[in-house]
Amino acid sequence: MVKFSRTWWGDRFIKALEDFTDDGRLQRGRSYANNGKVLNFEIEQNHITAKVRGSVNPYFGVYKEPTYKISIEIKEIAKSSWNEAVQKLSSKASIVSRLLLNEVPENIEDTFKELGLHLLPHSSEDFKTKCSCPDYANPCKHIAGVYYLVASQLDNNPFLLFELRGLSKDELQSKLANSNLGKALAQELNAQEVSLESSTSFYPKLEKQSVSEKPSVREFWLGTKRLPQTIDVLSSSGVSAILIKKQGDFPAFWHKDNSFIETMEELYQRVKTKNQSLM
Amino acid sequence: MNNAMKIVHGTWIPNAETDFVQSGSFYLWIETPILKKKRDIKEQIHPGHLAKDELINFLAQELGIKEPVPQLNQRISSKYFALPTANNQPLPSSELIKYLEIETPEEYTEFQYWQVDCYQTLTSIKADTPAINIIRLLNDIHFLAINNLSEIQLGSDLLFWYHYTQSFKQIILKDQYIPTLKYRELETPQSKSKSKKTIPPALEIYAGWSIISEQYEANIQKYIEYMPLICVAGSTVKTENIEFFNQETLLRHFSEFILNNIVTHTSSTAAFDKQITDSLIYYCFSQQHNFHKANVSLEEYKQWQIWKNKITRSQSELPFYLCFQLNSPAAEQIDNWQMQFLVSSKQDPSLKLPLVDYWPMSQKTKTGVHKQYGENFETNLLLNLGYAARMFPKLWQGLETDTPVGMQLTLEESFSFLQESAWVLEDAGFKVTVPAWYTPTGRRRAKLRLKAAGKSRSATKGKEKSHFSLDSLVQYEYELAIGEEVVTKQEWEQLINAKAPLVHFRGQWMELDRDKMQQLLEFWQSHGDEKPEMSVLEFLQRNAESGEDWDIEHDDILSDMMAKLQDKSRLEPISDQLNLQGNLREYQKRGVAWLEYLERLGLNGCLADDMGLGKSVQVIARLVQERESVDSVLPTLLIAPTSVVGNWQKEIAKFAPHLQSMIHHGSERLQNSADFKKACQQHDVIITSFTLARKDEKLLQSIEWQRIVLDEAQNIKNPKAAQTKAILKLSAKHRLALTGTPVENRLLDLWSIFNFLNPGYLGKEAQFRKSFEVPIQKDNNRVKSTTLKKLVEPLILRRLKTDKSIINDLPDKVEQKLYTNLTKEQASLYEVVVKDVEEKLQTVEGIQRKGLILSTLMKLKQICNHPAQFLQDNSEFSIERSHKLSRLVEMVNEAISEGESLLIFSQFTEVCEQVEKYIKHNLRCNTYYLHGGTSRPRREKMITEFQEPDTEASVFILSLKAGGVGITLTKANHVFHFDRWWNPAVENQATDRAFRIGQQKNVFVHKFVAIGTLEEKIDQMIEDKKKLADAVVGNDESWLTELDNDAFKQLIALNKSAILE
Repeated sequence: MVKFSRTWWGDRFIKALEDFTDDGRLQRGRSYANNGKVLNFEIEQNHITAKVRGSVNPYFGVYKEPTYKISIEIKEIAKSSWNEAVQKLSSKASIVSRLLLNEVPENIEDTFKELGLHLLPHSSEDFKTKCSCPDYANPCKHIAGVYYLVASQLDNNPFLLFELRGLSKDELQSKLANSNLGKALAQELNAQEVSLESSTSFYPKLEKQSVSEKPSVREFWLGTKRLPQTIDVLSSSGVSAILIKKQGDFPAFWHKDNSFIETMEELYQRVKTKNQSLM
Repeated sequence: MNNAMKIVHGTWIPNAETDFVQSGSFYLWIETPILKKKRDIKEQIHPGHLAKDELINFLAQELGIKEPVPQLNQRISSKYFALPTANNQPLPSSELIKYLEIETPEEYTEFQYWQVDCYQTLTSIKADTPAINIIRLLNDIHFLAINNLSEIQLGSDLLFWYHYTQSFKQIILKDQYIPTLKYRELETPQSKSKSKKTIPPALEIYAGWSIISEQYEANIQKYIEYMPLICVAGSTVKTENIEFFNQETLLRHFSEFILNNIVTHTSSTAAFDKQITDSLIYYCFSQQHNFHKANVSLEEYKQWQIWKNKITRSQSELPFYLCFQLNSPAAEQIDNWQMQFLVSSKQDPSLKLPLVDYWPMSQKTKTGVHKQYGENFETNLLLNLGYAARMFPKLWQGLETDTPVGMQLTLEESFSFLQESAWVLEDAGFKVTVPAWYTPTGRRRAKLRLKAAGKSRSATKGKEKSHFSLDSLVQYEYELAIGEEVVTKQEWEQLINAKAPLVHFRGQWMELDRDKMQQLLEFWQSHGDEKPEMSVLEFLQRNAESGEDWDIEHDDILSDMMAKLQDKSRLEPISDQLNLQGNLREYQKRGVAWLEYLERLGLNGCLADDMGLGKSVQVIARLVQERESVDSVLPTLLIAPTSVVGNWQKEIAKFAPHLQSMIHHGSERLQNSADFKKACQQHDVIITSFTLARKDEKLLQSIEWQRIVLDEAQNIKNPKAAQTKAILKLSAKHRLALTGTPVENRLLDLWSIFNFLNPGYLGKEAQFRKSFEVPIQKDNNRVKSTTLKKLVEPLILRRLKTDKSIINDLPDKVEQKLYTNLTKEQASLYEVVVKDVEEKLQTVEGIQRKGLILSTLMKLKQICNHPAQFLQDNSEFSIERSHKLSRLVEMVNEAISEGESLLIFSQFTEVCEQVEKYIKHNLRCNTYYLHGGTSRPRREKMITEFQEPDTEASVFILSLKAGGVGITLTKANHVFHFDRWWNPAVENQATDRAFRIGQQKNVFVHKFVAIGTLEEKIDQMIEDKKKLADAVVGNDESWLTELDNDAFKQLIALNKSAILE
């Protein structure tokens, strides 16, 4: 089976589709998503709308490139159930921590199951889809294409799962604020907004100094403080890439299917071992 | 003198163009003495540096840079350094000054840019653009320089960079850097088109790497304090105003640049390229693209920035540490290991709060806690628990609650945590506490024990049964042990067969290494029944090597012996009953006891007390002591540098006049074997020099000695020298080495001395180099250096002036005479003068007679100092021509190498000048010279510099008249009087420069006396006069003119036996 997404929850999202469509159509959908044919793409809570460029197909009497309108609606979770669900979620540090790290905990569905709910799409009944194309199959390749885009957004933003089930970000935050751990998560949601930091130089900026008080000749050459007699012994760390490992795999800017952490581990390793002539 | 000496300088010079990507390079240049021919001073070209062609030569031949010449050629360019300038010449560096014969001005008028040909340190890497290899290169040059493999020395600028780049390497070794994007807004070009459409701000995104490391930040702060101005004085262009770079920004610029340079020059493979293609890592890693510009969208930049902010937040901005503490269970609950979560404040890490105490707190109390551990404490706490769980996923288990406080681990889980995850978490910035029994100090190991017992071969015959003696052997057997406890074979096997890696054994948990235990068991089974024997020396060897796999259990006799050898203060000082003129100090009595104890054990040791603590008197006391207990003793052979041969005889005569000593030196020495043998029988001590030890090798070998004493034993440091070989062949019951230099740090010296004392104890030379010198000096191997220390420690007695017990034992001022002989040249000059004056005395009277007497005294003193001083013929001021000078230089060297500063007084300015030059050029140490003509501000400056606690140990030379009063030089704790003044008050006043309020150390005063000359008589008179009132004689020498002719002749007469070639 081809792995469509890099996160388990994105993957799960796609898999839900597999249950009621064939592989070939999914493949074509995937290339739709990758080739920029999806034009307007909007997620409004559980409502996804998009326009997709279709293809010219004289056989079907399509001579001009068509644009199809697509809408996908995902089954909402009732507002009343959300209170309970969020409360349950924020009673476990493990879940809150994972969400803080921008990851969906593997056992998140357990929490929802206890309430007879599903967070991730579960069956075809969870979707209502429409496409203006002449293809009668549902989902058609256009729908599949949009679907892939949603899945890839989910990779980087697990909170989208909540929106797709009808809980807006604001609502999620206010519900989280009811518990201690939830508050911690709510704060973090705000912190995700950043303003761009522009730089004025690539390397640290150099400053100059003019020396008003002339040092003695000795001081000019030797400085004011003597160097220690010994050099500290250096050791390499037992584990590589610790800095980036803490942030988890597949950061938002990493669009590739191979693991970012493994790639970086190899890179760090190469830098350490392949530069004997430089250091 | 040494015009070949070259000082290697260099620093980081950023390019002048201040582009967004401002690059820089590391440049080396070579400073040489300025030749007389001043070239191109007008052009402001540095007159003392290696210009292009010579530089290329130097790089290839001296530094061993292997690139082809055309390549090197390309790397040379002219740069500019702002240097202190006087008289339109750049002042030489502090390193070079030590090699210059001419005086250089201490003051300078201004900074000026000097043009210097520089080598850009780059190396070609296959197919790539050249990379900066300065870190590697500095390591190599430093090794060349410290091993004196070449006539090069590192300038202090390069030494700084060597230290800094070594510490910088940790960033790369520990992966403390991340891929980085920089986003730059371009100035919108003024649109010339008519349309008024606003153009969105143009932007460029650059890719590279940046350092994220707390250690790096701390290092920057630490190293800018060490960074001399010369490091920031380089420039690629000559500007009107002299400006230096700011130290911190230069260091940061260098660090980030070199990081990017190294990372982007890392070789890759097609497979790896594929892994990163189409990602921003590709732009960061690959150097193919244009000046770091990356084809990355603003969206990706934002995503990267969020990611980076989180990294920095978790790394440096957090006000608390998250801590994990593992507690081991009781024996029966093998799977109930508790991992506790705690937080501790970064400001006060001892302040720890277990989370189990935190959650139940009232909201108000929690708010108080948040003050300590920062805003958003709970968010940060959960975030960090999450980070930690990413490194150690087992932790998620402990987070299945809304109030995480800890978790339970099984034995297996705990073991894997201890083995691996604990270190990972530590490296990731968390604090981990493991059970005490797992820490290096608390850990019990399975090992073999050597149960050793002292056994006297002739136990029944010995007078003192409980004492170990020369014939003693050590008998031993093997035992199996866990930690300090002996275990049975059954217990051992049970442990081997236990399934768990951690077991509860005799009340404590411990880790098992079954493979090792199996090996030890096999060894024990094949050797356990033996009861072998070894010598005391072998026993000491074994003892030093014990540790990980086996250790030694001593019986009472052996532990008493080890205790005494390891802590010499346990030795009972010898009694006061010795027939010795003068009293020994307490530590000296203990020293004699040590000498005696070692000899009794059949061990040979090295007495390495600090200079001035009286090593010779301890040796003399030992000679006296052994004669008091035994009737007939073979003679001792004492080998010393020529300059102290006379002093030894004087000291023996002073402390033990009943000992018969003979100097074996000079052309009139006994060379016939029979005569020599006979003479040896009649003497207690034969004193000879290292030179004679080689020349009269056969003669000295023909005698069986009681003991060979090597004074200044570092003289045999060259194992290939004929002198060393000759000495090693001598046969003696005991051997003793004396040295005042800290031999522990000069490993080959140490080996040579031990090779003389106990051949084979430290292995053969090549073996020693391989197993100790290289690991200790090149790789900083702590284990090896500890083993070596354990090996030599029992056989070295070294007491420092600064030891508390010694300070209490010493008076604040210790005076000592240094007797030196005249050389043949000095003696013949002396005789000519004496003869001449004896004739003239008959014919002159009145003022003329006075004048003659005074000038004679002056001439003779000059001769005693050095022939060149008397002759004033510009002949060489060398140590071969004066034992006095030779001894002075040896002692100065010794003091300086121990980091002690000193003062040298002479009444002759010409001697002061020459001595300063000699010391500066030959010992390469920092010197000052104060004379009557020194200006006041200059004088103040010299004194301040000398006294500065952070400057290196220095030599201060003063003319007796100029240095007499009003100066404080308490940094010195040695005072040398090179020649003598008639009045002790004047000498004392000079000595008091060092011996003043504020002096924390004991002051050692060394007064030179030329044996058999008027100096010795003057000294005698001073000694006698001390008993009289000072008023009897005036401040000068005029009263001597009152002596009648005979008395005067007697005063100046030369005792010819005091001459030493």
